[in-house]
Amino acid sequence: MTITLVQGLLIALLAMITGLDCWLQAFFIFRPIIVCTLTGLILGDLRLGVIAGGLTELAFAGLTPAGGTQPPNTVLCGIMTVVIAATNNTSPATAIGLSLPFAMLMQYILLFYYSSFSLFMSKFDKYAAEGNAQKFKRLNFVPLIIVTLSFGIFAFLSAYAAQAPMHALVNSMPQWLTHGFELAGGILPAVGFAMLLKVMLKPRYFPYLLLGFVIASMISFSNVLPVALIGGVFAAIEYFRTREVSDLKEQIKDIDNGDDQDGI
Amino acid sequence: MASEASEVGKNKPSKRKSIFTNHEISMLGIRSNLVQASFSYERMHAPGWTWAQLPYWEKIYKDDPKGLKRVMTDNMEFINSSPPLYPILMGLLLTMEEDHVEPTTIKGLKNALFGPMAGIGDAIFWFTIMPIVGGISASIAKNGNALGPVLFFAVYLFLFWSRIPLAHLGYNLGTKAIDVIQENSKVISHAASILGLTVIGGLIASYVKMSLTLKIGAGNSVISLQKQLLDKIFPNILPFAFVFLLYWLLKKKVNPIWLIVVTFVLAILMSFIGWM
Repeated sequence: MTITLVQGLLIALLAMITGLDCWLQAFFIFRPIIVCTLTGLILGDLRLGVIAGGLTELAFAGLTPAGGTQPPNTVLCGIMTVVIAATNNTSPATAIGLSLPFAMLMQYILLFYYSSFSLFMSKFDKYAAEGNAQKFKRLNFVPLIIVTLSFGIFAFLSAYAAQAPMHALVNSMPQWLTHGFELAGGILPAVGFAMLLKVMLKPRYFPYLLLGFVIASMISFSNVLPVALIGGVFAAIEYFRTREVSDLKEQIKDIDNGDDQDGI
Repeated sequence: MASEASEVGKNKPSKRKSIFTNHEISMLGIRSNLVQASFSYERMHAPGWTWAQLPYWEKIYKDDPKGLKRVMTDNMEFINSSPPLYPILMGLLLTMEEDHVEPTTIKGLKNALFGPMAGIGDAIFWFTIMPIVGGISASIAKNGNALGPVLFFAVYLFLFWSRIPLAHLGYNLGTKAIDVIQENSKVISHAASILGLTVIGGLIASYVKMSLTLKIGAGNSVISLQKQLLDKIFPNILPFAFVFLLYWLLKKKVNPIWLIVVTFVLAILMSFIGWM
């Protein structure tokens, strides 16, 4: 299929709404599982959107902005995965790989804004010093508008204007390359998990990582809910144990301090 | 939500008359979504943080332009915490601002709290809730079931609305919240880390797909490297090893973008030589 102008504009609108949400992190509709589904709806293939959403969400499971690094943009990755899969009849797993360059480009645009929006700070400082609430509020809309429009324009160019060259590129790809992209889509979650581990993994938590890994390898269940429940059990046990230990420490401290310290 | 908030209020005899209505405090929770509006590396959340609370300070300092200038300038200082937990911090500091507590005290408290709160918030929201909710709804969606995205949206809509009771919590607890946060921050992030890491272990096994198609030997003694060797040692040993290779690279301060490049190069190479 090809993307019509109306569909292209709808995708731009979707990118603006979810892109704004990506900037503010309010509703989390910027996650691939939502963006892909809605893109599928626009293109008239909801099922493809949902399937691509599941796969892309997994690929981005650990790629969060929390570790201090801005990951490839989920909005553009979500949109382009569905667009590429729908217009070129490739599998969603292959499309994830092909959509990554778009997601990375958007990531660099955002990184550029993170640096360049520092230029607004002296204006904010000035309005704050003057106590000018109205101007301060108004100035906050400028970055929001710049970001929202950037998402819309970039998504429109990627999804609508670039579809012919994209089609030519995908068609000229040899089978081993398409298959390679498909494999990469399946391995990609590893990057996110490694990034999560970099932030979270301390030696004392390694046993829990291993526990979750072994359970999931041994039981065949369609999702990680049982693993999460077992993790929850251990978290609860540790929570109460730590509370108990800290209460004990308090008591010991009280005894050490003697009677004259009573009633602080 | 409202009952939860009033219950919190009940624990403490109301010591003063608030100039803010219940609705206004709820709106503070909603407005806390603005913190990232003018995000930049220089001050991070400061301008959005100030913007979100500005109407409230305008009310407090209605007849005191100097006070408004002071509070706006104070809050334009660097702040970076976990967005979903900002309502608590805003509510808490608003009580103090309303009571005209010494500005340096408020500022000191803000600076003392936003760091630890960032730690708890990241541990809970990004490292625990996101992998669990994302993992479960994605595994439903993967088979074409639209309940996956619906479930995901429902959970995050709930978290969005939870900002309202959190704002009331911070506002009503007042300075008591400080003890609660400091006492519990370590215990909670410890428990959240355990849950999060167990889930990540499960996600590695379930969602990283690496499997060799390579066969070695000749004639009747052909064996599949994956099925007859690696799976006999331990299933999913390749994904686990690969995650730790990437982890090791990250520890060596390699940029995450390179990890994506490494992944693609490896996948395409494996496809080209026909090993995967």
